[in-house]
Amino acid sequence: MSSNTAVEGLLRELAPQALGALARRHGQFDACEDAVQEALLAAALQWPKDGVPESPVAWLLTVAERRLTDEWRSESARRRREENVALLDAAGSEPVAWGDDTLTLLFLCCHPALSAPSQLALTLRAVGGLTTAEIASAFLVPEATMAQRISRAKQTIKASGIPFALPPPAERGGRLRVVLQVLYLIFNEGYTDLLRTELATEAVRLTRLLHGLLPEEGEVTGLLALMLLTDARRAARLGDDGMLVPLAEQRRDRWDAAQIAEGVELLERALGAAPTGPYQLQAAIAALHDEAPTAAETDWPQILALYWVLERVMPNPIVTLNRAVAVAMVEGPRAGLQLLETVAGAESLAQTHRVDAVRGHLLELAGDLDAARECYRRAARMTTSVLEQRYLALRAASL
Amino acid sequence: MKYMIMMFGSAAGMMETQPPDWIREMIGFMQNLDVELRNSGEMVFNAGLADGSTAKVVSLVEGLPVTTDGPFGESKESLVGYWVLDVADEARIIEIAGQIVQYARQVEVRQVMDAPPEV
Repeated sequence: MSSNTAVEGLLRELAPQALGALARRHGQFDACEDAVQEALLAAALQWPKDGVPESPVAWLLTVAERRLTDEWRSESARRRREENVALLDAAGSEPVAWGDDTLTLLFLCCHPALSAPSQLALTLRAVGGLTTAEIASAFLVPEATMAQRISRAKQTIKASGIPFALPPPAERGGRLRVVLQVLYLIFNEGYTDLLRTELATEAVRLTRLLHGLLPEEGEVTGLLALMLLTDARRAARLGDDGMLVPLAEQRRDRWDAAQIAEGVELLERALGAAPTGPYQLQAAIAALHDEAPTAAETDWPQILALYWVLERVMPNPIVTLNRAVAVAMVEGPRAGLQLLETVAGAESLAQTHRVDAVRGHLLELAGDLDAARECYRRAARMTTSVLEQRYLALRAASL
Repeated sequence: MKYMIMMFGSAAGMMETQPPDWIREMIGFMQNLDVELRNSGEMVFNAGLADGSTAKVVSLVEGLPVTTDGPFGESKESLVGYWVLDVADEARIIEIAGQIVQYARQVEVRQVMDAPPEV
């Protein structure tokens, strides 16, 4: 690892600690965020040359606070005097409760007042320590667009007067669910598009950080396990010809065994302790796939049972569609098709290719190749993923 | 000089009429082209579009916007995808378009209006 890459990794880790400490001292999340970004930039230029300072967070805080005071000085002399006193008290001496600060930051960035794209962007910048340029390139939008999105998110936080504090206990469960959803969305952005795998890696890192802060939260553990168990198959998802490879045909020796082992261990710990939520159930299903030595040895009856539970905890047509595949594997394709038709008309599936893709697969299993081809073709026209379109078209042409 | 190459037809529709080997070859070509254009520094951006049959058409009817489903099921006029490329000259863009058209019925090349104003 070059010293540049090492510094970059370190800065991403330190970013939420510095920002958390600064925002806790001064409030004004938006101004603090700007100041920390400048401090990170200064460090990225200076540290590879001069070496990492002995106390890197204190270094970042000092630079960021200088930046803050500069800004406030131009705003108001009275204010500067007050703040300078506060800075003298604060600098260096304060025990940094960075865990609580990072958690507070995450809750803030995933505040329900923000739109989902803003939550993702702000989380990656403020908690993940990514630069605006990095986030823009990960989401395939121009840097100016992403800068504007982040700036508007910060304005929303400022305008709605959301304090820099952990949510009250009564709201915490609901707010944590939003945080998990944001992390999962970041993961999916990276996982579904093979050119942007960095986002999946970043999501795993942030979820690992959250798990370290809330080790007793079963769904946090479940989400981390789900990401690891899914991401473990990354290298096998694409063939040498660049085509998507379905789970059953993937080369399992390309799966990441260490990541699977870690995911399974996390999952077992979570299942033993906490009430079982949707992320743990999905992780358990992923684990059964990952642990099967061959596709034929997959424990489908157990997967079917887990989908049945998942459907009760989190009823939605996509879960039912997945259960239809499991039913097909256990009871035969016709039984699976029968279940599929019960959700085929669901509003959330109507504009997608999913029903036809699964229907085609089950019809193929049932030996009805003409009907399967038609379904694959319809699905190829409906999907918005180039990789899926190619896979489905080729499937249709190969029947 | 920046140019846009537009490819017309229907990606899914075209693949429905071709054998698997042709589809594999086309996919390989498209992937290599993206890599080549990125490595040469000529790629500004590119995108494929969802199938024309999923398009919505918004038109002005008696002064009001009216949305209808796109009539582009098989139409040759439907845009499938585009590349915006920054190339040395027109000859180069014609060369690239000439490769792409092997796998498309027709492509159109247009210069992007980003020339500085003449003082």
